[in-house]
Amino acid sequence: MRFPGLVENEILKIARQRRFRVVVLILMALIGLIVFAQSRGRDRFMKKDWRVETQERMANIQNWLRGGRMPASSQRWARFELQRLQYHLERDINPDAISGPLFARAFANASSYLLLPLLAIVFASDIVSAEFQQGTIKLLLTRPVGRARVLASKLAALMLAITLTVLFGGIVAYLFGGVAYGYAGWGAPVLTGFRAGGETFDPTAVRSIVLWKETVLVYGLAWFAMLCVGAIALLTSVLLRSTAASMGTMVAALIAGSILPRLAPSWESQKFLFVTNLPLPDYYSGSPPPIPGLTIGLAVAVLAAWAAAALAVAFAVFVRRDVLA
Amino acid sequence: MPETVLSAENLTKRFGKREAVSDVSFDVLAGEVFGFLGPNGAGKTTTIRMLVGLARPDRGRVRIRGLDLAHDFVRAMAHVGCIVESPDLYRYLTGRENLVHFARMLPAGAAERIPELARMVALSERLDDKVATYSLGMRQRLGIAQALLGNPDVLILDEPANGLDPAGIREIRELVRYLAAERGISVFVSSHLLSEIELMCDRVAIIHRGKTLATGPVRELLARLASDRVRVRARPAARAAEVLSAFGPAETEAGDAEGIVDARVDVERVPEALRALLEAGCDVYAVDRPLPSLEEVFLDITGGETV
Repeated sequence: MRFPGLVENEILKIARQRRFRVVVLILMALIGLIVFAQSRGRDRFMKKDWRVETQERMANIQNWLRGGRMPASSQRWARFELQRLQYHLERDINPDAISGPLFARAFANASSYLLLPLLAIVFASDIVSAEFQQGTIKLLLTRPVGRARVLASKLAALMLAITLTVLFGGIVAYLFGGVAYGYAGWGAPVLTGFRAGGETFDPTAVRSIVLWKETVLVYGLAWFAMLCVGAIALLTSVLLRSTAASMGTMVAALIAGSILPRLAPSWESQKFLFVTNLPLPDYYSGSPPPIPGLTIGLAVAVLAAWAAAALAVAFAVFVRRDVLA
Repeated sequence: MPETVLSAENLTKRFGKREAVSDVSFDVLAGEVFGFLGPNGAGKTTTIRMLVGLARPDRGRVRIRGLDLAHDFVRAMAHVGCIVESPDLYRYLTGRENLVHFARMLPAGAAERIPELARMVALSERLDDKVATYSLGMRQRLGIAQALLGNPDVLILDEPANGLDPAGIREIRELVRYLAAERGISVFVSSHLLSEIELMCDRVAIIHRGKTLATGPVRELLARLASDRVRVRARPAARAAEVLSAFGPAETEAGDAEGIVDARVDVERVPEALRALLEAGCDVYAVDRPLPSLEEVFLDITGGETV
């Protein structure tokens, strides 16, 4: 009857299923592996003075550009990277220096392409379909509780699970990263807001920000993107009534979204797809969005619109459709 | 006349062009066990899905305690406990967690009934084990405990005997009779097992190909076919059979030792037949009019189609 009780039910079901423990393990194993691999790489490459290394990288990029065999999109990226390195070098800041806090922030950027969306999908795609597959939907929807309330309680529990996953990912990234790079450095200034204005680098948008603020912002963006993915996966779960089909559809969409900007960079309308807008942290703090005309504001708006539409359809279908499974 | 607790009015459901349920109507009265009998695929489960709001009827209406299910779902369902098709519960949760889960979906106080209900369905000992380890009979009983959490006026059970062994079937039957007799709960039971309905129910509706063929007290439906059946215990049996065959087909079952003759004699002619027996020198020990099994009623109504 009372909504908190319904949400408690849904949380109990998420927590007691094996997938919850699997997600926790996946996060810990993956972050551990990344830290290990990175610190090994660093040992090998970071022995030289970073200034020399940065200059070498710039020289390499310049050589590539002169070679002229790069596709247009890569050229744009190369010029941008060149300017970014130049910018750091001029201010005597190591562009690659890493610390536990920096690693935690970088994890949000890297994981918002595939890892975090995947975990959101793992939770969301069975939240309704599992009830159909177990047959428990027949009990759930014959209690004196409206169907919209049942679905709303599932949505609330899903949002909580996603929030905890993002938080947990960040905390594990910081703790594990700290082992390799030290735990200090939350107060370090970082440069943010690199923006690719077409072909030119626009340093006016670059600001210095304290790392912990930037990290909170970046995780907030990652969290928002994951909530949107969760909403869309909830819709596929409602529509397909099969966990496997729902998960498969969402993963296919994710992978398509990660390939599309590279395969068809000139198709501008893809910025209105939800998958191309998932890496919000990256669009915010660093790499230029892969599609011309895509800004962080637009990306947030597109994701929000997708999520709202997905929820509207999910509720309409869930409330109306006959349960014959 | 007892109050109507659950009523189906002209329920109709189409799947594409096929009409799975056509114009099904019945009333379930307070405190009775109402049987819903039909072969598999007759439309029993589709009807039940409409009764509990899982499926919307294309036409017709369900009322629970006078509340229209389509417009007053939440208040109407507060009076209903049900198991649709099979007792599907969360297998990865314990029995108790399942009950707590469903109690949270009910008004306050439902959780306090858990110990009492567990005792009633004889599950107290296993309540903290995962449902995955339960036998089908135990899951069926847990399902019934779940359905009773909200103190319902109507209990809807879909094929509760399915897959159970004879002992399990008997437990369920006794529980149903107890709930109706002692607790005053109306129970709606569907089944394709004629013997089950016969033993459990006060009234029955027979459904075939989506249509109700007959509704009425079990005894009345049985009596329909019983009108010309007579079982006579007389000696010598062979002679008695010969005499009775003048009134209709007659045969001795176990020969002269038992002296039982099954015959078909019109009710009006029974006294005449008895006089003929006496005149023929037969000793008559007993005359009985046995009720046919529900199966025979069913065969009769559906025109000889087997179940």
